[in-house]
Amino acid sequence: MATLTFPLSRIEGHARVEIEVQNGKVISTRFQAMEKRGFSLMVQGVPAEQMPVIVPRICGVCSTAHHVASVKALEDAYGVQPPAQAEQIRELLLLGQIIQNQATSLFVFTMPDRLGVESLFHLSEEEADGKTQFDIARRALMVRQLGTDLISLAGGQFIHPVKAVVGGVSSGVDGVQAEAFHQRLQTALPTACQLVDFYWDISLRMKERIGTWGDDQPAYYITSTERDQPRFNSSIIRVMTPAGECCREFTASAFRQELVFEETDYSYAGRTSFEGGVMRANSLARANMTRRLGIRLADAYLRRLRSEFGHPAHPILLFDLCRGIELVYAMASASQILEQDLQHEDTQLPYQPRDGEGWGLVEAPRGPLIHHYLIERGKIARGEFIIPTVHNMLAIERALRVAAERYISADSVNLELERAVGRVVRAFDPCIACATH
Amino acid sequence: MQKITPPRFAVLQLSGCAGCEVSLLNASEWVEQFDLVYMPLVVSAYDVPPVDVLLISGGVRSDEDLYHLRRAVKHAKRVVAVGTCAISGGVANLGNRDEVRELFLSQSERRDLPRLLPKSQPVDAFVDIDLYLPGCPPTPELFMAALLQPPDFRASLTVCQECGRKKLKDMKPKHLTGFQKGEVLPDICLINQGYLCVGSSTRGGCRALCTRPGHPCVGCRGPSDTLIEKDSHAWLESIQRVFAALTEIPLEEVREALLSPQLALFLFQFSDYAGGGRPPRPKEKVL
Repeated sequence: MATLTFPLSRIEGHARVEIEVQNGKVISTRFQAMEKRGFSLMVQGVPAEQMPVIVPRICGVCSTAHHVASVKALEDAYGVQPPAQAEQIRELLLLGQIIQNQATSLFVFTMPDRLGVESLFHLSEEEADGKTQFDIARRALMVRQLGTDLISLAGGQFIHPVKAVVGGVSSGVDGVQAEAFHQRLQTALPTACQLVDFYWDISLRMKERIGTWGDDQPAYYITSTERDQPRFNSSIIRVMTPAGECCREFTASAFRQELVFEETDYSYAGRTSFEGGVMRANSLARANMTRRLGIRLADAYLRRLRSEFGHPAHPILLFDLCRGIELVYAMASASQILEQDLQHEDTQLPYQPRDGEGWGLVEAPRGPLIHHYLIERGKIARGEFIIPTVHNMLAIERALRVAAERYISADSVNLELERAVGRVVRAFDPCIACATH
Repeated sequence: MQKITPPRFAVLQLSGCAGCEVSLLNASEWVEQFDLVYMPLVVSAYDVPPVDVLLISGGVRSDEDLYHLRRAVKHAKRVVAVGTCAISGGVANLGNRDEVRELFLSQSERRDLPRLLPKSQPVDAFVDIDLYLPGCPPTPELFMAALLQPPDFRASLTVCQECGRKKLKDMKPKHLTGFQKGEVLPDICLINQGYLCVGSSTRGGCRALCTRPGHPCVGCRGPSDTLIEKDSHAWLESIQRVFAALTEIPLEEVREALLSPQLALFLFQFSDYAGGGRPPRPKEKVL
């Protein structure tokens, strides 16, 4: 039996793919997370109120989601409900995260696959029109930076935000700064749309070349955003059947009753399943489970997706196109929130810390993220992090099998397999730092 | 005309969170001034080639981290440790407590995967470092300064100097407010309001991103030049003097709070606090 090993780059964290083959038959496809830091143990004994500063360090890409989920878990334990304005500022934070993440995934991680280059920074003269392409890199980085700048505006620090606190946020958003940022987003939106259109075009061309959108069987989908106009500062998890029926709704605290979580012996990350079936989280799940985005510009893209691919849509390379839709949505939605007065009332309510149990939920770029804390004598007795990437683990391995069977035969391995492995994994945009924490 | 080759640089990411890399992507000026030859987050390349500058982020957590670290520094002209994890282990130090390690190591047996070392360690436990760039993460401006090394670059001495909140002599809280609790008054020093802020001891250069919107400094840039060559006791005494001048909070209360996990990013940058018997990092080598 032969084992093919594929190291992975242009993803967040350290991972590799192993494919076992015997006489041209694919025996197994494994997605291996290769690092572990042990956050659930590290936080034992930490004073509970310090968690929102410590847990963003689980991941510098998804830090905002951890920051907000942590504050919400503590609020659940202490029984405090933040004021509406604080909720809006937290939504802004999470939208900043979506802009930053989707732009990074689209332009830095997966665009090189579509252009046949090693990286966004290696768009040399030979690749078509060198000048245009350098221009693409510059504009892509500009759009991406809007995300971290928005996190900074709404969250203080630009990578590991600090402004979400138990009971609200530590301060509002200054009106002059909000207006200036609103203008920046409005100016950048046409550029973002051009980039998304360009991305859609080169994806179509790639499909012509490789002959597939990464077809795979339908799957269950999971998200915590609502049916109409997604809110990433979310409260209920929903599951949809492969046929497109919404089949379950539950709160974060019911996670263990609804999903099966298991560890494996070949990866530092766990995985989940729903009623024995494969699930998918992330952008395609949200697109399939949202009726409308509530923003005209973004809804036009969503309609285009549905007219070209149906609803629900299942081919995995559509995850990437959906990130483009969400990039436009997040920029426009943040821009709308910034038009409101964000310093008109108290941003924070008083609270009394107490021992007990708390669950915090947000929709992170990769799906529903849950923080679960047990607090004893003011300290964390048990910290549990249920990471969205683990909902996609089985789906990633199944899609890898489809790709492997496509390119492996009894007498040869088509070298396109290496590129296919990268495309499949990047479509799910897994975050290994989070998945293993 | 002879074509000028831009300097080549690489980014080696060990066990960390990639926050340093995300910050580096924001410093996009390097795109036109440097040739980025290795950075798995953004470039498909599987080995570190010879480079002019090697940036290393993350701590040494697994045998594979150590292998990559030792290989990469061999062909690098200048080695920069970036971020609090590479320099001191950062939050990973919370996992170095014996009671945590016992559980962690027992739960981490996997086949065919990198093996975890007994403790998370900073990179200078294994290789020589030419420049330290602390911060969790360092700002894009600091990244550019580390890459270009402009001779006139000087970060502010402390976060306090960049914060601009006023210190008052007649506003003396009697107890700590709690780490994040309560209304934050704009423009007034957070210590005057009872917050545990260590901005007066922390190396400047971050533009006081946390303290200005009202969150106390947790010291991610590490000790200022005044303190960096001293030990954690010298720091404790000096920061307690700051609290004594601005508050009436009992010293014991301040002391206990200063040694709590929220300041892991700061505390472990004192080599005596981290243990391991290494000398303090010389201030000339810290940006």
